[in-house]
Amino acid sequence: MTSATLPAPASEPARGAEPAPGPGPASRPVLALRGVGKTYPNGKVALRDVDLTLGEGEFVFLVGPSGAGKSTLLKLLIRDELPTAGEVIVDGRDLARVARRKVPDLRRRIGIVFQDFKLLPTRSVRENVSFALEVTGTPRGRIRPAVERALAVVGLSDQADQFPTTLSGGEQQRTAIARALVHEPRLIIADEPTGNLDPLISWEIIQLLLRINELGVTVLVGTHNAEVVTSLRRRVVALEEGRIVRDGVGGYHRDD
Amino acid sequence: MSLAAIATMVLMLLLLAGFWLLQAGLAAGVAYVEEKVEIVADLRDVPGAEAVLVVQAEALAADVATLPQVRAVRYVSKDEALARFRARLLERGQVDLTGYLDRNPLPASLEVSLVDPRDYQAVDDLLSSREEVVEDVVEVQRLIERLTSVTDVLRTGGFVVLLVVGFVVLFIIVNTIRLAVVARREEIEIMRLVGASDAFIRWPFIFEGAFVGLLGAAVALLVLGLAAAPVGDMMYGFFRVLPLELGTIARDIVLLVVGTGLGVGILGSWLSVRSYLGG
Repeated sequence: MTSATLPAPASEPARGAEPAPGPGPASRPVLALRGVGKTYPNGKVALRDVDLTLGEGEFVFLVGPSGAGKSTLLKLLIRDELPTAGEVIVDGRDLARVARRKVPDLRRRIGIVFQDFKLLPTRSVRENVSFALEVTGTPRGRIRPAVERALAVVGLSDQADQFPTTLSGGEQQRTAIARALVHEPRLIIADEPTGNLDPLISWEIIQLLLRINELGVTVLVGTHNAEVVTSLRRRVVALEEGRIVRDGVGGYHRDD
Repeated sequence: MSLAAIATMVLMLLLLAGFWLLQAGLAAGVAYVEEKVEIVADLRDVPGAEAVLVVQAEALAADVATLPQVRAVRYVSKDEALARFRARLLERGQVDLTGYLDRNPLPASLEVSLVDPRDYQAVDDLLSSREEVVEDVVEVQRLIERLTSVTDVLRTGGFVVLLVVGFVVLFIIVNTIRLAVVARREEIEIMRLVGASDAFIRWPFIFEGAFVGLLGAAVALLVLGLAAAPVGDMMYGFFRVLPLELGTIARDIVLLVVGTGLGVGILGSWLSVRSYLGG
């Protein structure tokens, strides 16, 4: 399902430059939620009337108290759930219209990072990262260089042969980020990526995500981390009881 | 790898093979009884004493012929018995393995046809009394009855038993694979999130089911191979069917056992994966 707008301009790594806060007007949005609602079978209303658009190259924080609907929204984006109202459009495709067997394809275009890292404990760092490409049947020759690139970006080239159990929380999360990066997605979604990490390491991880954003990847971060959000002054989308109550550059709280 | 899954698979395959063999054997046995001969006496077969036994047999044949109940007596030599056997194999298109024998195992026999099929007792008594010549007396009519009744029971009973056992095996495999899926739940979730296709996630489990089937088949065939000799003797004693007649059966049995093992194994794991991992 293709959109009628012009294709997005090629992203160039903007080393050292201040990343632009908004998308170019001609670029196709990386994701668009229109009138999205999600009510669970047990009656709980997780989201209502959500309109959200993310353009190419944006870096956005998704904030809100527990139960506000952050996780639900992120699940909708990876089609782990379907909306009960409205449309979720990722990369020009209405997720509800995508056939079940095409869902793996979708997931390969988005990099996902979780609070609990979700690494395979029986595989090394390198193997965890290459796993994301193995499952798509990428030929072995192409996997190696892609993995080395991803490891270089996150700074884990020296620890490539270690196993998750011997890594610190920060290193594990960096492995997860490398895995999310390795198939060069347009969008990376991070659901509480610093939830299990101490403040110093949390900063490092956010810095890493910012660097990745500079390379042209759109990044959406769901987080509780008020300090980080407020001091970075990026676009903040705030959810409260399933509704978007704020969407714009600012801090974690309305008055920050 | 579940012991229960493999054990029940082996059991089912043994039963399947057993019934199959019995059916084939009985069919062969019934065919044997084409001649209108009511009593057959298998004569003793002592290597080295063949000439003496022939003389004694001919004398016995003469005696039997004098009985009023007897219509005709015929002496069938070992050579003739073997020739007949080979001819029968030939006409049924079966493999003739008799070349591998170093001596003719078939006994000579006296074939007696009666005036009245029901009036066999006197003949039976005479033949049985001559133990130095006669090895075994077979009332053919009773043999046929025995064969047909067993065949009937086999057909219905066997089918039901196999069906029930088949379901049990399927059920056990479904659960075994389910346990395997649950054990690897986290890894599967990660595979899902990273974009692995359903087929990619499923195939190791299907493979495991197939493996159970193959391993079960191998064990079953081993057991059958070991049991072949003693069972063969029993078959001849009971039904007068020589295992050699079942030459091509070996190939059929292997195909049947391996095919069924693989089929049930794959079916079971596929069902399990489909229901637990979703379509």
